[in-house]
Amino acid sequence: MTGWHLDDDTLRRYVERTDSLAEGASAEQHLLSCEPCRARVTAAVTAAAGGIDFAAVWDRTRDAIEVPRPSVFERLLRGAGLPAQEARLVAVASAFRGVWLVGVAAVLVFAAFAAALGHARGVWLFLAVAPVVPCLVVASSYDPRMDPALEPELVTPYPVLRLILLRTIAVLALALPAVLLFGLVVPGETAFAWLLPAVGFVAVVLAASTWVSPLRSAIAVSSVWLAVIWLLAARTGSPDAVLQAPAQAGFLALAAASFSIFLLRRRQLRQLRPWR
Amino acid sequence: MDSRPNDETLLLAVAERDMGAFRTLYERHAGWLAIRLARRCNDRDLVADAIQDTFVAVWQKPRGFRGDGDIAAWLWGIAIRRLVSRLRTRGVAAAVFENAGVAPAAEDQVLLSVEYGDIGQALARLSPEMRAVIQVVVLDGLSAKEAAQLLHVPVSSVKTRLYRAKAHLRAALAEGPS
Repeated sequence: MTGWHLDDDTLRRYVERTDSLAEGASAEQHLLSCEPCRARVTAAVTAAAGGIDFAAVWDRTRDAIEVPRPSVFERLLRGAGLPAQEARLVAVASAFRGVWLVGVAAVLVFAAFAAALGHARGVWLFLAVAPVVPCLVVASSYDPRMDPALEPELVTPYPVLRLILLRTIAVLALALPAVLLFGLVVPGETAFAWLLPAVGFVAVVLAASTWVSPLRSAIAVSSVWLAVIWLLAARTGSPDAVLQAPAQAGFLALAAASFSIFLLRRRQLRQLRPWR
Repeated sequence: MDSRPNDETLLLAVAERDMGAFRTLYERHAGWLAIRLARRCNDRDLVADAIQDTFVAVWQKPRGFRGDGDIAAWLWGIAIRRLVSRLRTRGVAAAVFENAGVAPAAEDQVLLSVEYGDIGQALARLSPEMRAVIQVVVLDGLSAKEAAQLLHVPVSSVKTRLYRAKAHLRAALAEGPS
């Protein structure tokens, strides 16, 4: 712009780094605003052997921008310390799809607000829905029929037990706080009464999946629970039976027993295919 | 450079996801950015990584350029900070600010003092540590914290060295060339 340009000697000393600080600083200041001199520096740098392989850096840059960004959930998992490959394997499950999460949240919101409004059946509805939500999402997180990564998983030597547990923990870390949050608007003890039944049902689904498909067992568990709640509501009109300490202890025992069975029979999980 | 698109046009095209324009931008700027980074870090791999990070950042946020000043200056601002961040994650002191082996020849010194006068001489008399701080803080425009990360010294040292270097320069310029 000024008509002044770096002379060839100054430019050579700049590229070879044999100039002084003042001269280098002056050259750098000029380069920021002078395209022709930048082009000359670039030409000199590219010509200099033993420098940076600009073609290779370009290839890496292009690769880096063409890789899709990992999903929010996957980045969360990696932030929690899970290696990148495992985070991808865990997060790919259908249960972490946005559509799924929105659907589950909608059901919970509906049940929670029905209870909050003080409607007589609202509390029952929340009590019926809240415990079965975690076990349904856990089952869907590793059921082969809903697993978009099934084929790669079948041919990859990766411990199925580890995959299932990782996905279960991840999905519970997502689902339990959500249900708890919605439960806060529910009056009374019901807000937390679903927690132990939920843990028990998840354990039952895990244990049952050593025999049958996880989704099938989750649906069976949910159906039984809904039937029990329906009967209780019809007979007594008060959810006390579920809220009392003996019932809660029973759910805890159910969880412990089911989880033991799951661990004992974990070898039956070696392949995902037998459920089909 | 008559019919070639200017940097602003290229950057607008990059915002429209034009890979060809991005490539042109890379070819136009990667070279001088690399040599300027290499003057601050003697690890070629780190410089290459910083160049890659810089252009990935440009691709992801081409609208980060507000249209004020030169695109070259904007790119340099990204590049030097990417280098600092690479150095921080690597945790090694790879920064160099001096070419101890290649002192300027005598006639170059004379030329310098003619061309740059007292400032060049005053700078040359500073210790390497002080010159490094002057370079990153005054000339590159980094914050004291970023300079500390680049030079692998505490922030407080950056501040004292900068203070002392300025005092030296002021004194040297006041008493005139020796």
